[in-house]
Amino acid sequence: MANSDESGPSTPRRGFDPKRSGQLLIGRLKEHGPANYQFRAKEDASYYVKLLTSRGERVLWGKDIQRAIQDGETKPKVGDLVGARRVRREAVTVTHRQRDGEGRVVSQEERHAHRTRWVVEKVTFFAERARLARRLRDEQADIREAVRAAPELKSTFLSVRAAEEFAAKRIADPLDRERFLELVKGAMAGSIRKGEPLPSARLKDGVKRTEPAQPRRPAPKRDDPTR
Amino acid sequence: MTPMPTSAIEAEEILSDPSASDWLKGALRGALERDPVDGLNDALLLAATLEARLRAVLDLT
Repeated sequence: MANSDESGPSTPRRGFDPKRSGQLLIGRLKEHGPANYQFRAKEDASYYVKLLTSRGERVLWGKDIQRAIQDGETKPKVGDLVGARRVRREAVTVTHRQRDGEGRVVSQEERHAHRTRWVVEKVTFFAERARLARRLRDEQADIREAVRAAPELKSTFLSVRAAEEFAAKRIADPLDRERFLELVKGAMAGSIRKGEPLPSARLKDGVKRTEPAQPRRPAPKRDDPTR
Repeated sequence: MTPMPTSAIEAEEILSDPSASDWLKGALRGALERDPVDGLNDALLLAATLEARLRAVLDLT
């Protein structure tokens, strides 16, 4: 059985391996749940997912896997064919507390660590993302048509349009401009393909919203209890 | 009573599982009659081939 994990810099054996980052592991979801890392009592609390792959059973470790499964778009269940992919590593601050025999905190310190972000979805999700990434690359010529075909990409296309406007104003050399836009589109397509969340469209500040106004609640007084 | 090996239990479970496909049950019955090393070797090759096909068809990288 193969295992994998990544965590803070204090544990180099769990270090982030850029070669493995981005690889899509495909397998049948056998089980998942909280457990101490590597199922060893002395290790830190973590979360695992067990997949049956074409090369045998694989166990992946990472605290973010719980969020990835529970908050994912397809919410995979045991028995589903899923894909799992590390998408990026984020810096996090962990508060480390030491307690005495009675459970009182005797010292506390902030430690910087890294947490790997995972995407765990049914395998069809990645196929759909591959389709959207292709569309972003291929159909820039007619954005209106592309947005009609894939409305979930609207915000992405708006970002590309903003990049085009930026390039038109700031980059004089047409070749450099083209290269810049290719890089932007390539990065966006790569992110979509990996399964990262699609950007959500936001209105600029000052744009009047058309939703019905919600009744306003009075601002809480300073002494109000927090609920 | 001697406990059954895990693999045998799992095979029986699959063969009696109404949600398991006929294709899987047929393949499993055939494989259980073969040499276990050859059976697993072929099954792994089959799984790897089908995964490659899935990646190609769905454009997964």
